[in-house]
Amino acid sequence: MLVVDNLVKQYGDLIAVDGVSFTAGKGMVFGLLGPNGAGKSTVINCISGLLRPTGGHISVAGFDIRKEAKKAKKALGVVPQELALYEDLPAIDNLRYWGKAYGLRGEYLESRVDEVLNTAGLADRAKDLPKTFSGGMKRRLNFACGVVHKPPVMLLDEPTVGVDPQSRERLFELVEAERENGSCIVYSTHYMEEADRLCDSLAIMDHGKLIAQGTVAGLRTQLGARDVLQLSGSFPGDATKQAIRALASGGIDLEIINHEEAGLTLTLSGASQHLPAIFEALSGAGALVSETSLRSPNLETLFLLLTGKELRE
Amino acid sequence: MGFVLSSLKKDIARWRQDATAILLWISVPLLIGGILTLLMSGSGAKPHGVLLIADQDDSLLSSLVAGAYSKGELAELISVEKVSAAVGREKINAGKASALLIIPRGFSDAFMQSEPVTLTLRTNPSQTILPGIITDVTRVLLDIGFYAEQLFGSEIETIRQANGNRGLDDARLAALSIAIWHKIESVAPYLFPPAIDVDIVEPPPDEPGVPFALLFLPGTILMAVMFAANGLAGDYWAEHNQGTLRRLVSTPARVTGFLAGKALAAGLIITMTGGLVLIIGFLYHGITWDKLPSSLAWIFVSGIGLFAWFGALQMMASSQRAANLLTSMLLFPLLMVGGSFFPFAALPNWIAEIGRNTPNGFIVDRLTREITATSVWAIDLQSWLIVIAMVVSGLAVCAWRLKAGFARG
Ligand SMILES: Nc1ncnc2c1ncn2[C@@H]1O[C@H](COP(=O)(O)OP(=O)(O)OP(=O)(O)O)[C@@H](O)[C@H]1O
Ligand SMILES: [Mg+2]
Repeated sequence: MLVVDNLVKQYGDLIAVDGVSFTAGKGMVFGLLGPNGAGKSTVINCISGLLRPTGGHISVAGFDIRKEAKKAKKALGVVPQELALYEDLPAIDNLRYWGKAYGLRGEYLESRVDEVLNTAGLADRAKDLPKTFSGGMKRRLNFACGVVHKPPVMLLDEPTVGVDPQSRERLFELVEAERENGSCIVYSTHYMEEADRLCDSLAIMDHGKLIAQGTVAGLRTQLGARDVLQLSGSFPGDATKQAIRALASGGIDLEIINHEEAGLTLTLSGASQHLPAIFEALSGAGALVSETSLRSPNLETLFLLLTGKELRE
Repeated sequence: MGFVLSSLKKDIARWRQDATAILLWISVPLLIGGILTLLMSGSGAKPHGVLLIADQDDSLLSSLVAGAYSKGELAELISVEKVSAAVGREKINAGKASALLIIPRGFSDAFMQSEPVTLTLRTNPSQTILPGIITDVTRVLLDIGFYAEQLFGSEIETIRQANGNRGLDDARLAALSIAIWHKIESVAPYLFPPAIDVDIVEPPPDEPGVPFALLFLPGTILMAVMFAANGLAGDYWAEHNQGTLRRLVSTPARVTGFLAGKALAAGLIITMTGGLVLIIGFLYHGITWDKLPSSLAWIFVSGIGLFAWFGALQMMASSQRAANLLTSMLLFPLLMVGGSFFPFAALPNWIAEIGRNTPNGFIVDRLTREITATSVWAIDLQSWLIVIAMVVSGLAVCAWRLKAGFARG
């Protein structure tokens, strides 16, 4: 349904998207997970035609977005990260207008408008102006405007930003309903829980590159059963490294992910067992540990493992 | 086509939410135009400026000079009030007149003998147009002193005789001053071509017998039209900021359809705004209703032209603030010279000439023709083509700006 092949987007010297490739099929949610500035929106905007890619190919529902832009756009539903609504136009008229922009007419348009108003839980506020809506209601309307034409491919760019838990749950249900209907959905987020809950397939993005890609389960096994141990304090350069290496050769399965003067991140299996030995070795090397955190494996730690940094800083 | 209509309906629906803006666009011009019109008309064409003349010479010649200000169309702009020099200074200092002219003792004798003579003219700095006119006329009167004898041989002879027997009746005095005035008018342009605007107050040549107050109507209508066109064009930035332009780009709808709908919606709102002022003006001046369709059509088309160009300017600016600064810096000077505060007939010629060549002044000029002509649809085809070209070119620039990145940004 959606094929992105070696997509590159450059802003002057800055390479915002650097050779991204992925495919997403019918009836699935493809997650694009990454921290702020990773390039998620840039990928989505290149697909939607808002940005002109510097290189690469994109096809939507079999249409090349450059050569058959109109057909590709018709097959796409876009829910932008920033709200894109007429705040001074009743909700129902917003939906009608965007429906018409996608070529919907007459009774079919009206029935689709009613349908999305209902699924978005806005039927009783249909005639009200969006400027009188809560943030969550605006988000839902923003969502509804993007899907009113029943697009086979949907691009959702962080649709839950600034939304209360109930509205968030509602949006998840909307996404799941669209997946049931056979839509192909690209969902960008920097929340692991959202990716965990919604996505069938996931790409992890950082600095414009996809650093890991696969099913959520597959990515978990990639991480293995290793825990992540994060320490802060002071860790003198070579002495710390030597101490850790000594531990590793002493039979503890551990690895350094990140090492700075003030912080040390390790992965290891069976962490709780080995903690005393680790602390002993570190203090022997002249290190001072002021804070410790131990986490069991999840997507967040996978990101940490891959990039050496937190998903959200 | 379908999308043009939905774009139009969407904008009309949105502007209905903003009735206060539309009300302002209508009421401010009505207020300004109304005040000017009332000043101009009222009971029996009341002049709207006062020239104080302190005639210390009190001779026949000095009264002729004083009389020169109340001849022809000047009489409709200026009323002359005779005062003593002291009272005159008091009044002008209090801002109660447009200008004070002091004719010194001995003026008549000096003039007859072609000796240097000084008239003192003090103008009111808080007024702009009238003191200017008075200054111009006075300069003409002074400058021609040198040529007086050659020019006014016969009139001076009459004055000499009259001085002798002190018996010049009012009728002959009036006739005399008209004769002098006509000579000034016909000769001045050759003597002092660029500096002097004697025909400022000439009635417009092809509109004989048009009440002066009526000349304020087209400018007032255009003030409403300009306010509306400028205000409506601000919507491009509003759409930019609320992300709807970006969403538009991701749909298969055409930008040109969107633009056409927006322009038509603007045209309708502008026509409603300007049309309301027009109808009030028609009622006030008793203009026949057969002029209504042609006048409204002119407002509709030219209003879209103005909207298109205001929109183009808005989208050329790098930010909304820059855009608003740019357009409001343009708006008021354009209204000033374009006949919205002062009819062209009351402006010095060279300003009026510039004014008629501004977009809004051009529209005012043709609307004046339509309203004052004896027949309907009096605007020539060429003028129609010019405003249509303005619509097309303005919208083309808008479409280019939208596609070139304004919509995506
Ligand atoms: N118009 C632009 N000009 C220059 N650089 C840009 C522009 N838009 C985005 N960038 C840069 O491209 C990179 C990717 O930005 P992008 O908005 O795609 O990130 P993101 O993953 O969506 O982040 P977020 O989670 O904050 O939305 C960033 O470094 C950003 O600064
Ligand atoms: Mg983003």
